[in-house]
Amino acid sequence: MADDRRVFRERQFRQYKSDVKKRGKPFHPYAMLHDTIMSLVTVGVIIALAVVWKWTTPGDHTGIVMHDGVASTEGTSGWLGKLTDDPADPGTISFTPRPDWYFYFLFYLLRIFKWPESVILGTIGIPTICVLLLIALPFLDTRAERRPLRRPVAMVTGVLVIFSMGIMTYRGATANESLGSELIGKVPEWAKQQGFANNPKAVAGAKLFAVAGCMNCHVYLGNGASNLGGPELTAEGAQHRGILFQVEHLKCPSCVTKGSAMPAFASQGQANLTLMAEFLEASQGPK
Amino acid sequence: MANQRSKYEHLMYPIDWIEERSGLVGGIKYFLFRKVPSDINWFQTLGSATLTAFLVQATTGVMLAMYYKPDAKSAYPSIVHITNDLFAGWLVRGMHRWGASVFIILMFMHMGRVFLFGAYKYPRELTWIIGVILVALGLAEGFTGYLLPWDQTAYWATTVGISINGTAPFLGPFIAQFLQGGEFINNDTLSRFYAIHMLLLPAMIAGLIALHLYLVIRLGVTSPPWSKDAAGSGPLDDESEEKHG
Ligand code: HEM
Repeated sequence: MADDRRVFRERQFRQYKSDVKKRGKPFHPYAMLHDTIMSLVTVGVIIALAVVWKWTTPGDHTGIVMHDGVASTEGTSGWLGKLTDDPADPGTISFTPRPDWYFYFLFYLLRIFKWPESVILGTIGIPTICVLLLIALPFLDTRAERRPLRRPVAMVTGVLVIFSMGIMTYRGATANESLGSELIGKVPEWAKQQGFANNPKAVAGAKLFAVAGCMNCHVYLGNGASNLGGPELTAEGAQHRGILFQVEHLKCPSCVTKGSAMPAFASQGQANLTLMAEFLEASQGPK
Repeated sequence: MANQRSKYEHLMYPIDWIEERSGLVGGIKYFLFRKVPSDINWFQTLGSATLTAFLVQATTGVMLAMYYKPDAKSAYPSIVHITNDLFAGWLVRGMHRWGASVFIILMFMHMGRVFLFGAYKYPRELTWIIGVILVALGLAEGFTGYLLPWDQTAYWATTVGISINGTAPFLGPFIAQFLQGGEFINNDTLSRFYAIHMLLLPAMIAGLIALHLYLVIRLGVTSPPWSKDAAGSGPLDDESEEKHG
């Protein structure tokens, strides 16, 4: 059986070659014409995107504005986003890390698979399996049949894959982010609910926590986002891990919890980290 | 006619000279005038459009490399300088930035058409596999390029990206350590990403594209499978005729 199939497909390919020789047309000028038109369209689209990017940037289209003599990129988003963001600053982390759009589906996978048990599945497992399946495809689907209507399994699978990639990209793009400037306003309320209003260190730590970007990955009393699958921290203090542990963990999460995807916050400095640790330990869950 | 030809014959000398030594002219003629199935359609222009997008990336990338400075102090100012001070700098940078998206979209569309046409089947399996590797390398280009402007988005997206890399079993931590070149994203990370982004990956991609195209030319492109007289779909001829290859 397998042998028959092999003989058949070899004969069929020979037939293809002879058909093309007899009935085909030369690549140039026929295919060449279409290819050239399509390539010109491609370059045209790329130039158009560059032009829209630049010329819908508000103000003088430089993407830089002066606020009280300080250069800033605030409010310079055109239709396609900013020309550049603010310069990299390892100290302040008050915004959500965002990859380019074609990685959104990966970022969304991280929302589905929660830290820490299955996050590896989302980050590495599923993408690796997809690549391996793609490579294996010609060996899994060995029938000679090429007509889409006679390949229902392949077609349905293909449509489902495209559909789910589309949805995940969309969900990844619209995942809501919370801004540090909004969250910091919630600190008094947190202090009341958690009962640490009389602990100035914990309150200061809460403010740092709100703006340092922790809440891009962690949920706290219903605020923040589980975008990247970080665990909820509302009752972190109930685990009584201690200030020392918290500081060490913030300094280098992956040193303390092997394989942690959380970025290191050592650049905040010992004093700030101790305040944040006070806050975490004071968070026993709402009374 | 004959007269005119001899009059301009000397213009052909350099070409004849090259042909005599390399056979390249014959090769190009073969490439241009080889037969393709008479029913090929617009879907089959996506591959060459992808190639064009890659060439746009290569060209604009070289231009950017002339002004971009891959160290933590000057990367950001050099990007702003390119965008706002240089003649058409915004255009070159904009084309490189958005061309990356177009390249990736076209790659996926081309892959989709190959899937729809069942063109990954015998004997084109290897063409397909090389294609899958090209997608992976293309995405890696996107990842490494994203850090280069050294702005907040770049810095923090890459921080998380590298951490994610580090969660992979076995090789993960080593790859993360290698990419980062230290405990945090720093100057070394930037120059590492730059070298990978503008030397290693483009060279690999260009080489694989060449292999891909060699296979496409050697094996020929498929007819649309639904075409009435798709090449190779009719009843098989008698065996005796030609040999393939
Ligand atoms: C850098 C990216 C790529 C370039 C420059 C490229 C270029 C091309 C070109 C010019 C063709 C012939 C015309 C056409 O079918 O459009 C082709 C055919 C083909 N490509 Fe690609 N390609 C790329 C990526 C891919 C990917 C991602 C896949 C799939 C995973 C793939 C699989 C194939 C196959 C199987 C063929 C043969 C199609 C047939 O014979 O009908 N290629 N490629």
